[in-house]
Amino acid sequence: MSVPGQATHSRRSTEQRAARRQVLIGLTWVSPWLFGAGLFVFAPMAMSLYYSFTDYPLLEPPLWSGLDNYKRMFSDPTFLRVVWNTTAYAAVSIPLFTIVALILAGVLAKTGRMSSFYRACVFIPTLVPLIASAMVWMWLFNGEYGLINKLLAMISIRGPAWIVDRNWVLPSMVIMSVWGVGQGVVIYVAAMQDVPKQLYEAARIDGMGTVRQFIHVTLPMISPAILFNVIALTIAAVQVFAVPSVMFRRPDGQNPAGHYYTMYLYENAFVYGNMGYASAMAWMQLLVVLLLTALLLFAGRRLVHYARV
Amino acid sequence: MGTPASTYELTRRAAVGAMAAAAAGYAILGPRGTQEIPRGRVVLDYWEKWTRHEGDAMERVVSDFNKSQDRIFVRYLVVSDIGQKSLVSIAGSRPPDIIGLYAFNVPPYAEMGAIIPMDELAPRAGVRMENYAPGVREVMRYKGGWWAMVNTAGSIALYYNRAAFRDAGLDPDRPPRTIAELDAAHARLLRTDSRGALERVGFLHREPGWWSWLWAYHFGGRIFDEASGRALLDSPENIRAMEWMQGYARDLGLDRIKIFAESFGNYFTPENPFLTGKVGMIVQGPWIANLINAFKPDLDYGVAPFPTVHGEAGSSPVGLIDTDVLVIPRGAKHPEAAMEFIAFTQRQDMTERLATAHCKPSPLTSVSAEFLAGHPNRGIGVHYDILRSDRAFVPPRTRVWQQFKDEFDSVVQRMWRLEVPAAEALPRLQVRVQSLIDQAADQQFRRHGGADPAPGGAA
Repeated sequence: MSVPGQATHSRRSTEQRAARRQVLIGLTWVSPWLFGAGLFVFAPMAMSLYYSFTDYPLLEPPLWSGLDNYKRMFSDPTFLRVVWNTTAYAAVSIPLFTIVALILAGVLAKTGRMSSFYRACVFIPTLVPLIASAMVWMWLFNGEYGLINKLLAMISIRGPAWIVDRNWVLPSMVIMSVWGVGQGVVIYVAAMQDVPKQLYEAARIDGMGTVRQFIHVTLPMISPAILFNVIALTIAAVQVFAVPSVMFRRPDGQNPAGHYYTMYLYENAFVYGNMGYASAMAWMQLLVVLLLTALLLFAGRRLVHYARV
Repeated sequence: MGTPASTYELTRRAAVGAMAAAAAGYAILGPRGTQEIPRGRVVLDYWEKWTRHEGDAMERVVSDFNKSQDRIFVRYLVVSDIGQKSLVSIAGSRPPDIIGLYAFNVPPYAEMGAIIPMDELAPRAGVRMENYAPGVREVMRYKGGWWAMVNTAGSIALYYNRAAFRDAGLDPDRPPRTIAELDAAHARLLRTDSRGALERVGFLHREPGWWSWLWAYHFGGRIFDEASGRALLDSPENIRAMEWMQGYARDLGLDRIKIFAESFGNYFTPENPFLTGKVGMIVQGPWIANLINAFKPDLDYGVAPFPTVHGEAGSSPVGLIDTDVLVIPRGAKHPEAAMEFIAFTQRQDMTERLATAHCKPSPLTSVSAEFLAGHPNRGIGVHYDILRSDRAFVPPRTRVWQQFKDEFDSVVQRMWRLEVPAAEALPRLQVRVQSLIDQAADQQFRRHGGADPAPGGAA
């Protein structure tokens, strides 16, 4: 004869053992990832945080220097210049990219003959490797032989030396960034196709035209997708590296107008051997990205509409 | 309805077994390196930056070494961005045994203890410092120590298009000796089309623009004093040199230059503007003769020391010595064997063979008559004169040279675009660069106190 209290206790401990076993099995299965992430992500992050408080010339042991690296940033004119260049690039490219992507998505969301073909055409440029597309754009932007200036010449406009003239570096970077608009378009098209049709019917009954429907129905309904895209674009813009490294690095030195934050970070780490300073720059970059993401999410709470239909 | 008999359920054991079989198959049958390494030899890894004909020539030297003995085998590996990758490999304690770097890498690497001193290794391998041209010795030594071996020497000179000289009514046998004569030749060589667009210029400071800091030396100054550790960027000579450069930008017109310069092809192509005749005179190293021989063998070119502001007749030439070096990194597994290989590359026959393939002078004082007679660069004598000159100079020897140069290049670009007068920009740059030098010195002091950070060198 069993005591009821003992049976309950025994059942509970069996359940606990089973739960523990489940957790253990789960951890075992994800352990390769945990091990890899710990070894190759979190440990280097922790080390770089330590290095950011040291003078570390890479070939000699790090020497504690407190906040020196962080203080140095604010008196380093090159640092301030790359911050300015990166901010200007982000401030111009993100809104432009978003607007162009939304307009294209608005057009391409309509189903019809050839719609898949047009969507593919818009998306294909994003499949081209960054370095390859940068090389192509260098030729397109060439002041003497470039296609863009040839086209401008046909309408009697003398095109600038796009990638040499410091005043045209930002426009050429922004134009190039819009070349990769396909990724955003695909996300917006998918979001637009999920907007319930009855909302448009109601809007039409209320007398709304196409533009007002887009502003008052489509945009609020796809605002979560816009927020996601803007956050992704912000992170990418703050970290821009490969394209300007190819386009604006010339034998006679880096075009100062095409010098961006991550490029200077890389130079400090691997060219000048200032790993401590580079680590501090990396952490500053992470903080800025986190801050901007938090601001966007905060703004999203007011502006983004999460529909429950 | 039951499960079909043919259905096979993939078990965990089967999946792991399949993956293990695939891995084993790859390990046994997968791709192999193309190089067969003879058994029983010490294997040395040699990283070098050269590609194309320059790399091929070095590979032949490596191959000859491997055949010449049966104890050591050198593996030649071409590495891009070699300075950066070497730095990381040394920091990670996994360096190769030999690295082919640039002359300007020697001082920072020596100061950081990233390379092994050769004061004892080199003489044991039969290499003597006095065998090298005087200018070359400067590159090999730093703070009294012997840190590097020069495998190919280069000195920088004025290359000019003799056909263009004739076309412009200039004497092709009388290259400019002074800056004023260079300006006059430039003016004569200048050619524009009916719309005023540039078709040919005599000289363009920014083409190819590899040594934007060079001009001060030809105006009687310099940009760094190694003894005191002071930058001299705001010296009157440097300001005058940069004002001279700005004069060209002003006279030619920035918009015209920008459009004209965009028509230039890359340096290593037949569209190189010196080869196409768009630029009549350029500052270059001897290797350009290889480009000329490959892409425009009928180009009638001449070589002369780059002019100086005073052009003292009969005095030794002023010129930059810019060489490639071989070093043994800290942590190399076989430094003695590495030195044996390096010593092999320094033999007169090997240096001459390599120098011929690279169109450069040999770094040694002693050269054979055949080497000079059959040299593919018609201006080789000029390059030798610079190597032996007491007025030749090497890149500023400071630990922060790379950053120093980048800062300088950035300001030169602004001055070239006439955004700021040289007299205003250079004092500001002086402050900035000096702070970098002082900061590095301060960090060095905190790290090593008053001790010499580049120990090991015999006085």
